[in-house]
Amino acid sequence: MPFLRLEVLSKKFGDFWALREIDFSINEGEIVGLVGPNGAGKTTLFNLITGRYRPSRGKVLFRDQEITYCKPHEIRKLGISRTFQSCRPFAKMTTLENVIAGRVFSGKFRLFPQRIDIDTAEELLELVGIAHKAQTPAGDLTLSEQRRLDLARALATQPRLLLLDEVAAGFSPVAVKQAVELVRRVQQKGVTLLIIDHFLTLSLRVSDRLFALDHGEKVAEGTPQEVMRNREVIRAYLGMRHEEP
Amino acid sequence: MRGTKTTKRRHQELRLADSILLLGFVFLLLLPVLARDSDYVLQVFTHAVLLATLALAWNILGVSGSISLGHAAFFGVGAYGSALLSLNFGFSPWLTVPLGGLVATVVATLMGLICLRLRGAYFALATLAFVEIPKVITDNWDGLTKGSLGLVGLPGFTALRLGRYSVDFGASPAAVYYLVLCSALLLASLVALIFRSNLGLALQAIREEEVAAEAVGVQVQRYRLLSLLVSGFFTGVVGGCYAHLIRYIEPGLVYGIHFSAVPMIFAICGGRFTILGPALAALILYPVDQFIFHPLLPAGHQFLYGAVIIVAVLFMPSGFWGHLRKGQFALLKTRSVE
Amino acid sequence: MWTSVFVSGIVLGSFYTLISLGFALIFGATHTFNLAHGELLVLAGYVAYWLWKAFGLSLLFTFPAAVVVALLLCFVLQRLFSLLSEPRELNSIVVSFGIAILLQNGMLFCFSGDYRLIRVPVLNQGFHLHQIYLSYGQVALLALSLLVIALLYLLMRHTYVGKALRATIQDREAASLAGINVSGMGVVAFGIGAVLIGLAGPLYGCIHYLYPTAGPQATLLAITITIFAGIGRLRGLILGGWVLGLAESATVFLWGASWRELVSTIILLTVLALRPHGILGRDER
Ligand SMILES: Nc1ncnc2c1ncn2[C@@H]1O[C@H](COP(=O)(O)OP(=O)(O)OP(=O)(O)O)[C@@H](O)[C@H]1O
Ligand SMILES: [Mg+2]
Repeated sequence: MPFLRLEVLSKKFGDFWALREIDFSINEGEIVGLVGPNGAGKTTLFNLITGRYRPSRGKVLFRDQEITYCKPHEIRKLGISRTFQSCRPFAKMTTLENVIAGRVFSGKFRLFPQRIDIDTAEELLELVGIAHKAQTPAGDLTLSEQRRLDLARALATQPRLLLLDEVAAGFSPVAVKQAVELVRRVQQKGVTLLIIDHFLTLSLRVSDRLFALDHGEKVAEGTPQEVMRNREVIRAYLGMRHEEP
Repeated sequence: MRGTKTTKRRHQELRLADSILLLGFVFLLLLPVLARDSDYVLQVFTHAVLLATLALAWNILGVSGSISLGHAAFFGVGAYGSALLSLNFGFSPWLTVPLGGLVATVVATLMGLICLRLRGAYFALATLAFVEIPKVITDNWDGLTKGSLGLVGLPGFTALRLGRYSVDFGASPAAVYYLVLCSALLLASLVALIFRSNLGLALQAIREEEVAAEAVGVQVQRYRLLSLLVSGFFTGVVGGCYAHLIRYIEPGLVYGIHFSAVPMIFAICGGRFTILGPALAALILYPVDQFIFHPLLPAGHQFLYGAVIIVAVLFMPSGFWGHLRKGQFALLKTRSVE
Repeated sequence: MWTSVFVSGIVLGSFYTLISLGFALIFGATHTFNLAHGELLVLAGYVAYWLWKAFGLSLLFTFPAAVVVALLLCFVLQRLFSLLSEPRELNSIVVSFGIAILLQNGMLFCFSGDYRLIRVPVLNQGFHLHQIYLSYGQVALLALSLLVIALLYLLMRHTYVGKALRATIQDREAASLAGINVSGMGVVAFGIGAVLIGLAGPLYGCIHYLYPTAGPQATLLAITITIFAGIGRLRGLILGGWVLGLAESATVFLWGASWRELVSTIILLTVLALRPHGILGRDER
């Protein structure tokens, strides 16, 4: 029984197909990398899974339950969380409040944040390595700190499936190494991960499987080695490299 | 450490802010004694405190990032609702003022249904237009509201008796002042609770980054509606108080753009992201307007409000109190990182 | 009877389009809302009133002065708007709201709160055309409105500045890629907008009472018609004006003048509910 299954999932913007007939599944406990050049449709796929956009066709199933047209907060309740390519921190709130906000809207509604919410939030900040910035407004963090914060906020929702959108983009080699460890630790907590990773810095090291997209279509799927040897993937990436000056 | 110097300055700023607050509070408490000889001064400050309450109520919606230019709708409905109930059924204002607030909440629901699908500038424009609906209806429903003639001879707040003590609001301007001050303090405490609760967290998250708020499970529209309803209720309550204090209302007065503009201006000048900023701005600007500009410029003294809002938006978007009190938002000052 | 409702609706609607043009142009080119639009219009009317009353100037000669005053103020406005931070649309509303308060109080100071009207007796006379009574005022209003609209149309179609402005309004990014100075076009839009306000103001003073707080009503009309039209459609503006004018004159005929103010509100809220970016315009993004 697959954990997450996408069936002929398609998304059209105007008359442009951003995603076309994606069939794909993830098993529980896996780390899957989602790769592809700019504009391939990776972020759009996340937006479909998390209910931000409605698909034009197809289905999303999570643990055998159809969630295709669920609202974002319902999907969040089922245990799917995400980070954002552009981070989107709550800029005027402190770093700690950002993470608390990730936690308190998941379960039963309580009027005030509980001690345990605060403690968990602080632990998570510790985990991603920005505990010393707890009282800083999130808007004042550096980009890489904001990425960590975004991750901590997503983890605070206690997800079963975590979707990471370019978490390691722009990280230094040291930071990438830390990120690899972090992802492993998250996995050990029993979280399944789907990682968008344009430059393959992270996914080549941690993924069990890769899934490659180009122009909204699936071009390859398999172990990292297989996918990296795939001619279409190479062409998609080389094509992209040629375009760059 | 690099941070120490700025931390020190921050602390000084915070201490300054706290001292201003304390001094201001003592001043407000002692005002009826200080202004023993002048009913006018007391009257101005009573109105200033009322406007402060209005600004606090406005900011319950404002904190979610929505700027309303239509709060006069709630103010007017609250005033008319309370006035009509007391005139037609002889209820005491103590009862009709909250009921007026409920009527305003109904109108806020209507506004929510129509306007909350919109964001930012379009929400503001829609609320600006929305005011016309209750206004024109009030104006035309002659049988009930006497139309544009307005309602006169509204009952004032009746005396309160507590055992042997009794406070007569009709005879004592100071009692009225303390009544208004108490309600302002109550609302300020409620706003402080809201800001520090998960509701406040949700509203701030919506304001900062709606998409991310949705992704962490905030039901955006539900919270926006809730804040609009609470804001509308208290605005209606203030409208009702106003009606029974002034004892005369007409549509052009209570639905006038003034009561939409003034809370917005105070909230933005004081600081939309702070608890007390909106109230403080009202307590400073209204007396300045009345004591300094009104004698100088009997016609046109309200240009002050226009000037301060322009300056605030362009040069101090977080408001003067927000500026003095950066970090007031921090939910928890525990375990500060030194 | 309905024909005269129709005729007065069209006349009124054309005039509404005229008074909305400046607002719509500024919104289209700079994506800012000028909530002081109505105040500028009323001020232009006051300028004309003052020249007419104090110096006995013929109405025709008051237009240049009104235009000059509107230009000066729009220049100030443009400078202030250039300081706006994000979100610009919303902040422009708040800032121009402040300017509206400034202008209202300025007008109260200069002209007092009394109701003023520029009385041109000949405009109240009229004639019958197939049983429909038309006043010269209505004819002049219709003719002048359509004339200004036609001039604006020619300007936008056949001059370089007009074409560049149109391109800016339709797609700022594409226009700037094509080498058009988009922010410069913003200044031009304020300039042309000011001229349009200066032309409409004195006419406004002939058919509406002038008083310091008359502005918001006119602003609301301009907002309604502009949002009805969507971005960059002169045709939409004319259609919007007519719809509003017809709806108002029908409302007045059926239920009385006191319900008139609700008409633009209902149209605006309906349009916003259906589509936040105007019913003839394209969706953004
Ligand atoms: N809301 C939208 N409206 C219209 N087009 C969109 C929208 N969102 C995405 N697109 C288009 O869909 C395509 C896929 O976008 P997407 O953001 O999913 O790419 P991506 O694979 O995440 O690329 P990147 O590596 O640049 O993040 C792009 O061509 C983009 O322009
Ligand atoms: Mg992307």
